[in-house]
Amino acid sequence: MKTVLEMKQVSKKFPGTYAVKTIDFDVFAGEVHALLGENGAGKSTLMKVIAGYFNDYTGEILVNGKTVQLHSPAMAKANGIQMIYQELSLAKPISIAENLLAGRLPTKGTWLLDRKTLIHESKKLLGRVGLGHIDPLVAVEEISQSEAELVEIAKALGNNPSILVMDEPTSALSKEEVDRLFGIINVLKKQGIGIVYISHHLPEISKIADRVTVMRDGEKVATKDITDVTTEALVEMMIGRAAGEMYRKRSSSIKEDVKLEVKKLSRRGFFHNIDFHVRRGEILGICGLSGAGRSELARSLVGIDPIDGGEIHLDGTEIQFRSMNRALAYGLAYLSESRKEQGLALRLSVGENILSASISRYSPKDGKEIVKKLIKDLQVNPAEDHRMIATLSGGNQQKVLLAKWMATEPKVLILDEPTRGVDIGSKMVIHQAVMEMANRGYSVILITSDLPELAGLSDRVIIMRNGHFIGEIDRVDCTEEELLLAANGKGEYVNAIRESR
Amino acid sequence: MQSANLDELKKDSRSLELNTLSLWISKLGIFIVVGIFLIVGPLVSAKFYTLANLTTILQTVAILGIVAVGVAFVTYSGHYADLSVPSVMAFAGIITVATLHYGIAISLLLGILAGLSIGIINGFVVGVYKANPIIWTLAVEYVLNGLMRWIWGANQIYPDLHGNNGRAASSFVNLARQYVGPIPLVFILLFCAVIIGQLILSKTRFGRRLKVVGSSAEVAKFSGINVPLTIGIAFLISAFAASIGGIFLTSLVKLGVYSNGTGYDFNAVTAVVVGGVSLAGGRGNIVGVLGGTLLLGILVNVLNLIGVSQLYQTIVEGVIFIIVVGVNQKSLRKLGRDDA
Repeated sequence: MKTVLEMKQVSKKFPGTYAVKTIDFDVFAGEVHALLGENGAGKSTLMKVIAGYFNDYTGEILVNGKTVQLHSPAMAKANGIQMIYQELSLAKPISIAENLLAGRLPTKGTWLLDRKTLIHESKKLLGRVGLGHIDPLVAVEEISQSEAELVEIAKALGNNPSILVMDEPTSALSKEEVDRLFGIINVLKKQGIGIVYISHHLPEISKIADRVTVMRDGEKVATKDITDVTTEALVEMMIGRAAGEMYRKRSSSIKEDVKLEVKKLSRRGFFHNIDFHVRRGEILGICGLSGAGRSELARSLVGIDPIDGGEIHLDGTEIQFRSMNRALAYGLAYLSESRKEQGLALRLSVGENILSASISRYSPKDGKEIVKKLIKDLQVNPAEDHRMIATLSGGNQQKVLLAKWMATEPKVLILDEPTRGVDIGSKMVIHQAVMEMANRGYSVILITSDLPELAGLSDRVIIMRNGHFIGEIDRVDCTEEELLLAANGKGEYVNAIRESR
Repeated sequence: MQSANLDELKKDSRSLELNTLSLWISKLGIFIVVGIFLIVGPLVSAKFYTLANLTTILQTVAILGIVAVGVAFVTYSGHYADLSVPSVMAFAGIITVATLHYGIAISLLLGILAGLSIGIINGFVVGVYKANPIIWTLAVEYVLNGLMRWIWGANQIYPDLHGNNGRAASSFVNLARQYVGPIPLVFILLFCAVIIGQLILSKTRFGRRLKVVGSSAEVAKFSGINVPLTIGIAFLISAFAASIGGIFLTSLVKLGVYSNGTGYDFNAVTAVVVGGVSLAGGRGNIVGVLGGTLLLGILVNVLNLIGVSQLYQTIVEGVIFIIVVGVNQKSLRKLGRDDA
């Protein structure tokens, strides 16, 4: 079989650490090669190397047997490598045809657009992804998300790639749309294109992939034929054995009284009939894949998004609110998943950011005290409250973000991906702080895709999938394997609950 | 194994130093420029350092300064500028003149309320409905301008002709000519506006909320800050300052007319931006706005003293604005914060 892409001993170093370390990776013509790994395992860095984002990787890359330098995205494209990103790269207000042929629009003479060829060419491309029935002159914003994704693939095909890289292509698609996409992938395989496929959805991978490579901590664990591995084996390879050691078991601090109880909470299209409760001093984990409705649930719980039905009870009494302002006054705080857009104002100082959610709570003098204390408790480095937040490292920014919500002295603190993309030192500090808060009687709801973190910190985990509550796991039984299976809608906990209902 | 490395890992090896000098320059650098002008001034003309000339400088920009302090709040909130300022000034002035027969106190109050009503509309539409502040306030400027011409038929309203309250009329006309001891009232008002504005911005909870909103409205929203209300208050402050400025201007020119505030929009924005309030929002201070105002005043004065005509003065002003905004933008881009 012909090898379209071969990477030999490829490494990419970031200051201090290897994001990708001596990886061997190859793709045959006409196969789907899945790339698996937890967040931070190095998948996306490896993809960026392939896409030409870095000019300082080491090792050798061969495309169609020839050694190539992939030092810029243009060089990657010239070598027949096309990326299809999660965030679509299409310009929404302009037509499908113009998007498809962007940068190489057919012209009549020097100046005039050749409409006929434009339509003809784009129809041909659309046909290759099963969209032959769509008018190429329609604007991208008028077609559905899944169709836009197919248009994105068609656009990539227009450059005659020999390698197609797909990053989580199904995260926004329904089941029928996924089946359609897989049909098209199978056609592309027959045309001899090599496909690198990244996904967290394990059932999908066993369905579409021919081979799978698992990465962990920047290194390759193994490459296997998909027929040789079970889902359980893949999970074990992704997690490894050492991962669990990071979490020292803590003595549970749960008090009897229920702090927050949610009954039949729904927001149409996002989550439906969610029931759960959190006790005082408890850390409740929410397990699920991206798109399961976890963040949406959190946003509604703190009044950023509306709810369509259901009740929220705090300390046994029902509370209603329509703004985050009110929710915060009740003691519900939400550390959102996007630090730079929603969490920290990058033009303000460390101190101003820490106090930004509790401006009415403290006098300037008390504010200074609390900032000083939190900077010290969370070991923010450098420990200066006047420093601009933008000059801090990601890990220290994340500590400041946690400090901001600790300063509001919440009764219930909802953490959405509290350690995404931070270094291990900051991660440990944040975990320590979260556990201490629980010990002091705060209730914590933890949303995280980092399964070791979820398993290590949570007292109890509820499982969400496609906007529904599908099961619950007590800490005693909670392992990463179980969580990953549960997030994918499998495993004994999911089934047990389903049968009992 | 990990605990052994922990101290190592906690250390952040990136360079974290910010140039403190550049920070200071960005804060109050405008006064350095003012200082340079004060040194250059006497070289240009011997008349520069006469008391009469210095008073003239302040007089030409005192009203502008008051208006600019208000506009600074809008800029600081991340909404560029309030372009309805000229109409609000004229409107507040006209209403004051038109109601002089109720007595000076009531007419002043009504004039200010008239201006504030426009501020409420601006604040509501921009704050709640997230209208583009430039387009919206520009539209309000035109609509209000047209309304005033329609209602008052493009007539000028003279305080002493309106109603029979001669005493109210003369005290209104005297407003802009009033002295407190040796100091003109309008100077005192300007410095009060600067001091109060500075205190609101740096000492109050509203000021701290405004800073978060101006730095990032999205972060403010996710911090439980009432963003529409905060933006609304900024526009209200702008309208309030414009009303005060408009009433003084009307008093100064002794007539109420729709065109009274013409040019104050661009001049105010220039003073604000030259004074170091970032168009991106969340950065700057009101003392700097005073500096920007003084600079404009001294510039116009120097140009007058060396006999440059009005025509060329606007060109100089425009060029300075372009340079300042350009430099501002470039330094933002350098810091990787070009979100203006």
